[in-house]
Amino acid sequence: MINFFSLEAFKLRHKLRAWLGPLLIMILVLIAFPLSIDISQYDLNKFYFSVIVVSLLMISFLATESIFSEDYEDGSLEQIHLEEKDFYKITLAKILVHVFFIGIPMALIGSIFSFANGVSFAEVPKIFVILSISTLILFNVFAFGSALSINKGSMLGVVASLPLALPAIVLLGRGVRTVQYGQGFFEVSVLMAGVALIVTALMPIIISATLKTHLE
Amino acid sequence: MQLVTASNLGYSINEKKLFHNLTFSLNAGSGLHIKGGNGSGKSTLLRIILGLTSPSKGEVEYCKPNLQISYLGHKNAIKHYLTPMQNLELIFRSSALSEAIKWIHILGLNKVQDELTANLSFGQQKKLALIRVFASESDLIILDEPFVGLDDASRDLLNGFLQKQLASDASLILTSHIEPNILCSELVLSGDTDD
Repeated sequence: MINFFSLEAFKLRHKLRAWLGPLLIMILVLIAFPLSIDISQYDLNKFYFSVIVVSLLMISFLATESIFSEDYEDGSLEQIHLEEKDFYKITLAKILVHVFFIGIPMALIGSIFSFANGVSFAEVPKIFVILSISTLILFNVFAFGSALSINKGSMLGVVASLPLALPAIVLLGRGVRTVQYGQGFFEVSVLMAGVALIVTALMPIIISATLKTHLE
Repeated sequence: MQLVTASNLGYSINEKKLFHNLTFSLNAGSGLHIKGGNGSGKSTLLRIILGLTSPSKGEVEYCKPNLQISYLGHKNAIKHYLTPMQNLELIFRSSALSEAIKWIHILGLNKVQDELTANLSFGQQKKLALIRVFASESDLIILDEPFVGLDDASRDLLNGFLQKQLASDASLILTSHIEPNILCSELVLSGDTDD
């Protein structure tokens, strides 16, 4: 498992566009949004979180869009299948590496921008925690979408996985409110972590079966 | 000693039978050359033997447990954004890696070992992909059109390697429109069959 993790990290590290691109787009969106509308700082502080949440959703999809397609197209998945007989480990490794390289930095960027738009410094770590957990859930969900549409274009993946991503967004919204109002953060974050753990354990099984079907 | 047996294999796509009732076995140290026109099901048969595709009928059985298989299909399974050396690091660990590096020199890829694989010619990419087979210890080698894109010297090298493997009791199944210079039995697929 550690071997898969290090190999995936090695590959992603060398694909600059794959991990730096989504992060730059997120920064661009978060900078451009306040500049593009005429709004008071007071109003902006009130709904800037929504911008962070929506950009997190979009960028998570973007970051996982081709998570399996490269290995599928160049024949690496066939070689992995011959050695491993299933794709559970490689799927789990891919998702965790993407979360580590893209998801966590996205959460960090979101936290910094939320601080710049009215959140107190003491609340920033809380924002970072719920954004990080959210990226773990979203990356799992969108990786499933990507596996589903591996040879059919990414639109099918969006359509198939978006309904699964919406509950995660609702949960993230709840988490943001607990930070804003200073109540119930622990309960919501534990709930989110629980959901993330279950999704991370189960989704690779489903994705592995999906990839096997595509390979046939 | 039998290594692989296939019994009553059949495969159909949309009512079209590619092949049916194929029965054959392969002994250790023997080779099988699958022949046939385009679309006759050669690659599909290889994928069925590998377990990548399920047959419509029949089954393939490996007679030896933990059979070590090396496979190179139409797709090279190499990363274009990495150098040949990095590609090998991705595939091989420690001792096998030093064997793979030896093959880089034998195949003349050492001159381009630090260039991006995307910049290599088709033939050079094929040679790099073949190192996966050359540097692995295998009981069974399965190759799909391995000679395509190779120059004469590399073809001779591949023929020599495969002969050596057969002599050391490894088995070989390959498809090729280019006649291999190896002693092996032939299986001809005729394509669409009615009965």
